[in-house]
Amino acid sequence: MSLALPKKPPKNWPLILGAGGFLAFMTLWSATGIGFSLSELVCNLGSGSRLLQESWPPDFSFLPRLLGPFMETINIAIIGTVVGGIFSIPIAVLAARNLTTGKVVWFLDRNFMNILRTLPDLFWAMLFATAVGFGPVAGALALSVFTVAVISKLWSESLEAIDMGLPEAIRAVGGSWVQMIQFGALPQALQTYVSYALYAFELNVRASMVLGLVGAGGIGMILETQRANFEYERVTMIILFVLVAVLIIEQFSSYIRNKLA
Amino acid sequence: MNTAKGSIEFQQTSVVYPNGTVGMKDLNLVIEPGEFVVIVGSSGAGKSTLLRAVNGLNKVTSGAVRVDGVAVPQKEGRELRELRKQIGMIFQDFRLVKRLSVMSNVLIGRLAHVAGWRTLLNMWPEHDREIAMRALERVGITEKAWTKASQLSGGQQQRVGIARALAQEPAIILADEPVASLDPVTTHQIMRDLVRINQDLGITTLVNLHFLDLAREYGQRIIGLRHGELVYDGSAQSVTDKDFREIYGRDFTEDDLLDEDAKL
Repeated sequence: MSLALPKKPPKNWPLILGAGGFLAFMTLWSATGIGFSLSELVCNLGSGSRLLQESWPPDFSFLPRLLGPFMETINIAIIGTVVGGIFSIPIAVLAARNLTTGKVVWFLDRNFMNILRTLPDLFWAMLFATAVGFGPVAGALALSVFTVAVISKLWSESLEAIDMGLPEAIRAVGGSWVQMIQFGALPQALQTYVSYALYAFELNVRASMVLGLVGAGGIGMILETQRANFEYERVTMIILFVLVAVLIIEQFSSYIRNKLA
Repeated sequence: MNTAKGSIEFQQTSVVYPNGTVGMKDLNLVIEPGEFVVIVGSSGAGKSTLLRAVNGLNKVTSGAVRVDGVAVPQKEGRELRELRKQIGMIFQDFRLVKRLSVMSNVLIGRLAHVAGWRTLLNMWPEHDREIAMRALERVGITEKAWTKASQLSGGQQQRVGIARALAQEPAIILADEPVASLDPVTTHQIMRDLVRINQDLGITTLVNLHFLDLAREYGQRIIGLRHGELVYDGSAQSVTDKDFREIYGRDFTEDDLLDEDAKL
């Protein structure tokens, strides 16, 4: 018995060569554009390795002084997640095509959401630092906005995918719009909400480290001062500490999210 | 019990869906308070359209639907909510909040009767809890009051659906294919529940069915629809096989009967 495999189609060489050539051209063009040179990189590796040598071993004696700022980072992340999580609810509901109150509201809310998403968390941190002064409060406010941007977009899509039978049944008993949302829509999307809120919390812990760089409090502020003072062994300690903390929080969060799924 | 309430009148009513489908065509129909009406017809004949025009879930394109002499409002708002408050609806797919308890689901029938801030905070007045409990009693599942709706069987879920409608203390109950996702034994129990509630409380009841033997067994009055038009209106006793053939536009088969060995 001979297997009658259909004949293998020939490779499309013009496409492969064309795409490969295009990629190579784009890379070379960009490298020249930013003045990237391989020889310079090799020469500078020396100073890079000096930096690495200075950064090792990590300064464990610095560890106790990290706990306070780290707790501040966690506090910033919690406040950001809770405040942002609450504001996300109406914003996501009004941005869901099947639940919104009207076309105009939907359009405005959708664009509001897009603007929030376009601007990075660092921008909000600098904005709030100017508005309320440097420190953790500015960080918490920045992360609240960042959380709204994360949750509302993702969750409004989950809300658009719910079964509209139940909301209609709430309408049929004479329920108002708020009641339709409360009893018909939210129960169906509660799990995804919690899941997205946990995801936002993970992002917030990581982001609140970066926010410290622009003076919005937390462990990022320590990182920035030590770096500026060339205390690289301490910098390594901070990075290690943050790495472990983030890994633990992510494990915990993904465990809960798996349970919910 | 208020037998004077619960009349429905269709006056030259037509429904054309946005995609051009005709759901109802020049329907003239009067249903008296307390009647038990079974609506039959093949799928797409306009059974659901008829029910959903009564509580304004479907808007009519021309003509009017009147409930107790008042035209059904054709836009969402307070007036429509006031009307829906007194019209219970039962669905083929039950439409319960699965993660909530049976009691919470029945209380949903009280939504329009209770102040908005109370329902928002889930603070139900004792009076409304009692009404919900009595509704559960009437369908015989009080012992399931604190069970999660998702843990109930299909028949029990539909009973919760009926209890939710009863909690509205409605003048009219609309049942859209209430037994289509149930097994034959449960089907008969649910149909008997509906008939008993109609007799005990005098609630005008409209039931969509696609099984002919069920229509004949439980209906008082049978309304036949075909392509959105009224093609039969008469008592369940006098309906003949020929009438059914006309409603369906074809010979009916075993698929149109619930019990395979049943005779029409």
